Amino acid sequence: MKRFFTIILLFALLSSLLLTSACSSGEESEVHVFFYNYSDTYITSVRSALATVMNASGASFQNYDGNNNQTTQTEQIRTAITKGARVLLVNLVNTGSADAATTVVNEAKNAGVPVVFFNREVPDSVVNSYDKCAFVGTDSEEAGHLQGQMIGDYVKENFQTLDLNGDGEISYILFKGEEGNNEAIHRTRYAVEDANNILTSAGMKPLRFYDKSNANKYLVDPNGAWSAAAANQYMTTALASYNEANNNMIELVICNNDGMAEGAITALNTAGYNNGSGKSIPVFGVDATDAAKNLIASNKMTGTIKQDAEGMARALDKLAANALAGRSLLDGVDEFTVDEGVAKIRIPYEKYLG
Amino acid sequence: MEGKFLLEMQNIGKYFPGVRALDGVTLRVRPGSVHALMGENGAGKSTLMKCLFGIYHKDTGTILLDGDEVSFKNPTEALQFGVAMVHQELNQALSRSVMDNIWLGRYPTFGGLFVSEKKMLADTRAIFDELGVSVDPYKIMSEMSVSDRQMVEIAKAVSYNARVIVFDEPTSSLTEKEVAHLFKIIRALRDRGCAIIYISHKMEEILEISDEVTVMRDGRWIATEPASELSMEKIIRLMVGRDLESRFPQRKGKPGEVILSVKNLSGRYNHLENVSFELRRGEILGLSGLAGAGRSELIEAIFGLTARRGGSIELFSRIIENKTPREAIKNGFALVTEERRATGIFGVLSIKENATISSLKGALRLGLFVNDGTLRRNTDWAINEMKIKTASQKTQIRTLSGGNQQKVIFGRWLLTQPDILLLDEPTRGIDVGAKFEIYRLMAELADEGRSIIIVSSEMPELFGVCDRILVMSNGRLAGEVDPKTSSQEEVMELSARFL
Amino acid sequence: MKLFANNMQRWREFRELDKRDRGRAVTELIINNSLYILLFLAIIFIGIRSPRFLSIPSLINILSLSAAGLPIALGIAGCIILTGTDLSAGRIVGLTACIAASLLQSTDYGNKMFPGLATLPIWLVLLIVLAVSGVIGLINGFCTAKFKLHPFIVTLATQLIVYGVLLLYLMIGNNNGQAISGLSPEFNDFINGSILNIAGTPIPNFVWYALAITLIMWVVWNKTRFGKNMFAVGSNSEAANVSGVNVTATIMLVFTLAGVLYGVTGFIEAARISSNSAATGVNYELDAIAACVIGGVSFVGGIGKIRGVILGVVLLRLIFVGLTFLSIDANLQYIIKGLIILVACAIDMRKYLVKK
Repeated sequence: MKRFFTIILLFALLSSLLLTSACSSGEESEVHVFFYNYSDTYITSVRSALATVMNASGASFQNYDGNNNQTTQTEQIRTAITKGARVLLVNLVNTGSADAATTVVNEAKNAGVPVVFFNREVPDSVVNSYDKCAFVGTDSEEAGHLQGQMIGDYVKENFQTLDLNGDGEISYILFKGEEGNNEAIHRTRYAVEDANNILTSAGMKPLRFYDKSNANKYLVDPNGAWSAAAANQYMTTALASYNEANNNMIELVICNNDGMAEGAITALNTAGYNNGSGKSIPVFGVDATDAAKNLIASNKMTGTIKQDAEGMARALDKLAANALAGRSLLDGVDEFTVDEGVAKIRIPYEKYLG
Repeated sequence: MEGKFLLEMQNIGKYFPGVRALDGVTLRVRPGSVHALMGENGAGKSTLMKCLFGIYHKDTGTILLDGDEVSFKNPTEALQFGVAMVHQELNQALSRSVMDNIWLGRYPTFGGLFVSEKKMLADTRAIFDELGVSVDPYKIMSEMSVSDRQMVEIAKAVSYNARVIVFDEPTSSLTEKEVAHLFKIIRALRDRGCAIIYISHKMEEILEISDEVTVMRDGRWIATEPASELSMEKIIRLMVGRDLESRFPQRKGKPGEVILSVKNLSGRYNHLENVSFELRRGEILGLSGLAGAGRSELIEAIFGLTARRGGSIELFSRIIENKTPREAIKNGFALVTEERRATGIFGVLSIKENATISSLKGALRLGLFVNDGTLRRNTDWAINEMKIKTASQKTQIRTLSGGNQQKVIFGRWLLTQPDILLLDEPTRGIDVGAKFEIYRLMAELADEGRSIIIVSSEMPELFGVCDRILVMSNGRLAGEVDPKTSSQEEVMELSARFL
Repeated sequence: MKLFANNMQRWREFRELDKRDRGRAVTELIINNSLYILLFLAIIFIGIRSPRFLSIPSLINILSLSAAGLPIALGIAGCIILTGTDLSAGRIVGLTACIAASLLQSTDYGNKMFPGLATLPIWLVLLIVLAVSGVIGLINGFCTAKFKLHPFIVTLATQLIVYGVLLLYLMIGNNNGQAISGLSPEFNDFINGSILNIAGTPIPNFVWYALAITLIMWVVWNKTRFGKNMFAVGSNSEAANVSGVNVTATIMLVFTLAGVLYGVTGFIEAARISSNSAATGVNYELDAIAACVIGGVSFVGGIGKIRGVILGVVLLRLIFVGLTFLSIDANLQYIIKGLIILVACAIDMRKYLVKK
């Protein structure tokens, strides 16, 4: 019997191998795309947009999941280069310092392969160190500024309704996705700063972090994965001691991305808030994922910042096509905003309030 | 002895790649009788039983139960036909209660969902009353003695209305008193009309309990005879195929001066109380007593396995501590433990690793690297000296028979050049031939001037090999007997002294 | 020669079997070695579909990937032989990588963690790192041996503690939770540099270090008293105690040695990946455990060989590289990896179950 099951297992392994290799595209892929983490919702939307654009333009490509692990990603990139990749599109895992990016650029430079970083920002010096290197992303500060404006405007309009305990201050909670990431740092900073500017100039008191003893004035995903689970856990814990019964309810939720906003909303739902009607606390995110759009449409979430996944996909496709054709990377990219002095394309953000 | 047979196994054959485990073996058992099945380890008794219970698939032959041919797929199916086995090593759910174990897999339920504890209790009590067993049905198995656990196993067989019950070495870990109780129950089962197959190595028991005896050797049937016509010598001759000159070897030397003196030894976490004795050079000292009398505890305390509360150990007129086994080994002690599988062998490791683990220090080069050549030579020495039957040094020890495993462990200890060997039931579960080898080895070692303390529950064994026998009772020393002048009854009396 | 004689012996035994048993023996042989057969077929298959797979740069890539995974797997293998495991391995790698990186930042790096720190000699940093990881391993071993806790529990706890320490460490000095980078070129060269090129492709230095460590571990496992004792304790710790083995010391030493090996891994990773954050090393232990069990280091205890660990590590890396070369979807790669681990362990377990 044991022998029988072992054979069954072997068979399962063999057939899955055959099946997958049958599914794999026969020809060698030219464009190799490295995503930092398949489980990130926004990155997944970029992945599907990129697949649509690339399939339309006929480029052959292969996707990789870095699983939020720089080691895995670096090894994948090395392997892809030995496999004969002609273009590398890299959504770097570790953006806290220049070294991971430098390592990748050096690998690419040695093999003479163009490399385009996207979404997660790399330093200018790295991009400038190699003529076949570029970056496609957003202005990391812009999302923070836009979110700050959106929050400031919203709070100014609805101050009386939002101030649940009537103390003349709005208390907020803020979820940071990860330490040492530029996007996270800028969003965390400007979302509050810009909102406060609007409020103080209108003669109102600035936002106050709900927990006086927290000097950071933010809560960060301990795994650095911008995850809904972490936000949910923090929110549930916070609501246990900060609620209307104690007259210190959290009156505003700011999240660095929509995934964490979803997690926070689920926690609020359990506590009896943000169920579409009835009591509601404003929740703001970034990315405008489909889930967030749905939540906004059903009145459970207030607003988000749209990161243009299609726009980013189009830019990446264009750069990849340039590289394959042997042109300079930034050839004919007039439709996009390019930074001065460095090959960085900026895809603009938009406010999304439903 | 007339009448038809309840169980007939005819011409059973079983082949493994390269080995004929069974070759045309026939076993016929009458209802209302006890049929002993004998043979050395490896004679094929277990294989035959495994064929009966469907654990092995027999290659030839037929099995008739009450005249109908049967072929059980597994022990569960056999049980449903009323064929049960009380195992040598009890396979029980130790953390569950007596009742749970008896009704495991077929709990009486109401509503098909909820277990009816009431019915379970009543049924259990009924069986226990019938068998004269006094065990609390709620008791947890792991808190019970081996003997009581065996009773539970028998009750379980009875609860299936078993007509054929196989006992596989049932007395190997029972005391004399418990054996008597077991025999009472076996006789009760026999009188109900059950056919009992009784597998054992112990001649005295076989002659006492059985009506008929079948002897096997090397996978073949040798003889089936009424027990009344057999003697111990004849059985041994049938089993071994030759005359064993004597059951116990001759001793040449005489005990010399006192080398070890234990004074007022008490255990910290057990009931060992104020034990004092002396051991002489070249002496074989027996430790007798009932199960739980503290015999194992005593030698474990000497070896540093269990903590002492008080008392002293003097070796060569020097006080020693023996706080850990390592220290004891350094002081020249060696301990062959009772539970070979649990505390003796390293099952998945080779004979070489098993034999040399305690003497690695002597095989070091540069004080750091183990010299493999020395290890191999030492292992070869052990294999030759102990007459271990094995294909190579690399054989995993778990594949050897119990007797050969025990010889490897003896080899392990002799490689440490011990002055004092502590042996805890060294011949348990070992066949006659291997037993004799162990006795011979003990005699040789004693003649060489090494001293031996042996714990055993087999009284004939103690009387056969020992120079002196100490009897323990309830953690204390009850007395000393001289095997040449005393009787087994005297030992029994002393065993009960502090109860 | 010995191998040859053994095989001849087996062949003779095989010849003696009858037809039915022969068929059975052949099937057994195929099942027991199916993973290697499969691996061999896969290499040929991938090599045909994508010839670059067998090119020198690709082979050296596989070699260096395997070398990077070896020390940690060798450390964990010891714990598995004791019927334990070690969940703290990855976090220890992370901590040691960050310590090594922080002490070996180049002096002119702007965001240096300890700005006043002069350039330390590499050997000194290596010693510091090994001491730190050794102590953590010792704590694991101490709790396992003295409190009789299962290593799963102990290392589950220390894993969290080490992570906390790592997060605190990253907040020290100038660093403020950032990833540590700007490594000194000497350090980078010590790990990633090369003293040997094959057909123009350099073999990174850390491959040699991994090789040396593997050799040392082979000697430790097979030629020292400690190694013999380790297998005995893993096989039957009670019997080992009775036989005079210092079980407590053996367990503590196995975990300490494992810790030291994680330290080596961390030291190499610091320069190999060259960006060291709180996420460095996370889940490394899972790959290492997988490599061990694929290579036949059994959770039964007392069973395992150095060559098995090497094979497991190489096999895992081959799967990783091979699937990439076959352009197999990343989602499916996880499924295949899982299946391979299952099959490997099922086949391995068959060898130790009593045949009925």
